[in-house]
Amino acid sequence: MEALGHLLHGFAAALTPGYLLYAFVGCMLGTLIGVLPGLGPAAGTAILIPLTFSLDATGAIIMLCAIYYGAMYGGTITSVLINVPGEAASVVTCIDGHQMAKQGRAGSALGIAAIGSFVGGTLATVALVAVAMPLASLALKFGPAEFFALMVAGLCLVVGLAGNNMLAALLMTVIGLLFAMIGVDPVRGAPRFTFGVEELYDGIGFVPVVMGLFGVAELLLAAEKRQTHMVEAELKSWMPTGAECRQSVGAIGRGTVVGFVLGLIPGVGAIVPTFMAYVLEKRVSKTPERFGKGAIEGVASAETANNAYANASMVPLLALGIPSSPTIAVLMGAFIVNGITPGPFLFKEQPELVWTVIASFFVGNVLLLILNLPLVGLWAKLLKIPFSYMCAGVLIFCVIGAYGLKQSLFDVWVMLGFGILGYLLRKLDFPIAPAILALILGPMMERSLRTTLEISGGSFAIFLDRPVALGLLAVPVIVIGFLLFKPRSLAPLRESDIE
Amino acid sequence: MRQGRLIATGAMLAFCLFALWQSLLLSLTDRLGPGPGFFPFWLALIGIVLAIALLFSMWREPQPAAQDASIEEVRILPHGWGALRCLAIIGLLAAVTVAMELVGFRLAMLVFNAALVIALGERRWWIIFVFAVLGSFGVYYLFTTWLDVLLPTGQFGI
Repeated sequence: MEALGHLLHGFAAALTPGYLLYAFVGCMLGTLIGVLPGLGPAAGTAILIPLTFSLDATGAIIMLCAIYYGAMYGGTITSVLINVPGEAASVVTCIDGHQMAKQGRAGSALGIAAIGSFVGGTLATVALVAVAMPLASLALKFGPAEFFALMVAGLCLVVGLAGNNMLAALLMTVIGLLFAMIGVDPVRGAPRFTFGVEELYDGIGFVPVVMGLFGVAELLLAAEKRQTHMVEAELKSWMPTGAECRQSVGAIGRGTVVGFVLGLIPGVGAIVPTFMAYVLEKRVSKTPERFGKGAIEGVASAETANNAYANASMVPLLALGIPSSPTIAVLMGAFIVNGITPGPFLFKEQPELVWTVIASFFVGNVLLLILNLPLVGLWAKLLKIPFSYMCAGVLIFCVIGAYGLKQSLFDVWVMLGFGILGYLLRKLDFPIAPAILALILGPMMERSLRTTLEISGGSFAIFLDRPVALGLLAVPVIVIGFLLFKPRSLAPLRESDIE
Repeated sequence: MRQGRLIATGAMLAFCLFALWQSLLLSLTDRLGPGPGFFPFWLALIGIVLAIALLFSMWREPQPAAQDASIEEVRILPHGWGALRCLAIIGLLAAVTVAMELVGFRLAMLVFNAALVIALGERRWWIIFVFAVLGSFGVYYLFTTWLDVLLPTGQFGI
């Protein structure tokens, strides 16, 4: 009941013209970013951070969250029309969505994707309202030992999803944590790894790093490949028929549950819920042979799960201060840049901000539905923007974003360096997500661990005396142990499962 | 691919060894508890163990046939036009970073935009001109006037 009262206050703020405009602009830009192949939500959110420099904290977060949701939907358009996912989570949508487009049903596919995204996103936000505050209240009882254990568990879950690449993911996590150590020691104030370079006293900036690793690296990868050309798909109507809507009801419901539940688990990533929802839908279907040949339930389930996941993944961030994916880590970076530390104290110390942002999720979902259904044709035309202009445009934003935060050209060099590094690491199949999450969690992890050890007089036995911390530390041990020694019969989901 | 991964892991091992050495120059513990070198020391140590384990696991992997290996090696680094496009992006980004300090955002970005779209294949001069002007002077006006973001003006104040 308390949450409902706060939410109503949040709506009162979120529906003011200024915040509505930020949400609208965010949804438009997000969809644009999602439509452009090669730029995912993480890169899109990162490169558009400079647009929010002059906004107040609430407005900045509202706009960046709207960019995130918009990008999640925007990827669907390219998946359906040209069989190229605008972002990774839309890979599954290609399977039936593009088949539908080939059959002249592109409008129905995009329409049901918009409706499913709206329902999934809205229901997941309702669940977020119910879950986030109790979880934050519980987390308020945590001490530094529990927070350290929570962050270790969150990082290890991300690593666990790397599958066979787990050793590399663990190493990337450590590298990310070591980069986070650059700058002034957060406890004693002593400079570390600065080598007399004045710009390093503030540490390596998160914004230039993500702009490099996502923005510049993505462009380098795209520049290397040949460009794809758009296949003109017919858009006779953007509304699915009544029969198609009835067919999709169950898929949307199941997709919402799968997306929300998996969104609560750090490290799952956006592609897993869409994959799981699709496989589930195929299994419960009486006519599974239609899947892969233009089944509308395939599009509905994947897209619903995608947006339900996007909203649910805000729960660990807002309630616990744990980013569950690279995009959420970018959002967390934006929170920190605006002087806000996500986590349980947020609900207590800045309830207006957090509830306005949550209310804006509902508003954003409605805006996306309004924008996406009638404007599908317009978004499709954006696919014709030549790569040269897209590349130059994105790089302008990257340069401004890296420079603008501290007015430092050193940060532009950092962005370029991390761009080249990100390109090479991606080519060599080293996972980047754990390093990003480690970079943002590093200072907080160190502070929690050192405070814990100061309390215990330097003894690690304190973790044994605190059952919650011990339980949380057991999570990574179990996950990594299971992945290292799992039975062969429990092989991970493969692409063949959805063919 | 395998060779590239070995080199990258070797570089990470060197990075962790360097971090370990640097952390030893800081105090690991003091009378209040863990010192500034404590966390990076343990991280670097864990990183070294992981890097060695990764190198060992790569070394144990079966080597691909010589013919396949050569195909894989080619794929890691860009080649042909792809390589030129990547080099153009990196080179022009480096150049614009240097130039912004000297001639300011507007002039540096004007040349950067024009050079980049030409390097990426655009040949229609009027479109290049319009894009370069909008992407430099237009963007400067948008960010400094509307969004209150300070951008470099260079040594000539432009």
